[in-house]
Amino acid sequence: MDAPEVSENLRKKQGYTFTFLSDPQTDAIRRYDLLHKAAGPEEHDISRPAEFLVDRSGIVRWENFTEDIRVRPRAQQMLQVAQSLHW
Amino acid sequence: MPGQPQKQSNRMLWLGLAFLLLAILSNLLYFLKVPAALLPWVNLTLPVLALILLLLGLVRAFRQPQIYKGKIWGSIVTVLAVLLVAASTLFFVGARKLPHSGGAPQVGQRVPDFTLSDSTGQPTSLAQLFSASGDAQPPKAVLLVFYRGYW
Repeated sequence: MDAPEVSENLRKKQGYTFTFLSDPQTDAIRRYDLLHKAAGPEEHDISRPAEFLVDRSGIVRWENFTEDIRVRPRAQQMLQVAQSLHW
Repeated sequence: MPGQPQKQSNRMLWLGLAFLLLAILSNLLYFLKVPAALLPWVNLTLPVLALILLLLGLVRAFRQPQIYKGKIWGSIVTVLAVLLVAASTLFFVGARKLPHSGGAPQVGQRVPDFTLSDSTGQPTSLAQLFSASGDAQPPKAVLLVFYRGYW
């Protein structure tokens, strides 16, 4: 789990403008049932990779759960999905 | 020299070595725009093919050493291939050992709310992510990306 400062460094280094959130207590991760036990360094609990596209009423419009941690959706793919949906 | 036939190069072993190198390089495919469904098969098939070719080559080298070369270097490369097959199989299994996440919100369902620290330490809720920043229109959607971290 990255601390806010770690995310801030990453954000600055890469020039990302989107929000990075930190979940050191794995609170949201557990609420979304994404906890991957002991999968991080020193057997820390981390999140499995997952992506959710959520509309203003909080409803999931698209989601993705990878079967392989090495395979993730690309930004371009997710942008296409977002543009193909009616909001 | 009579009775001492010229030794042939052992093509199976060379082919096996080539597949072994391809198998190692195939891990780079994860960084290219290759259809993801293909990758595991390429990653697993190449080292197995390499191993089969090497074993066939080795059998030739040991059964007909008067004809085929490669007893020593073939054995070394085959051992490396066995290790590579074992390592890629372990890695393959490990990379796919993910929790079931049956309780995760499904398409059409409402996502649970949360309040978490942003990268400046500011508590941020899902509702806040939907609010307008500055003069910009409020966003129509929010993309939540859960990632493993430690980058």
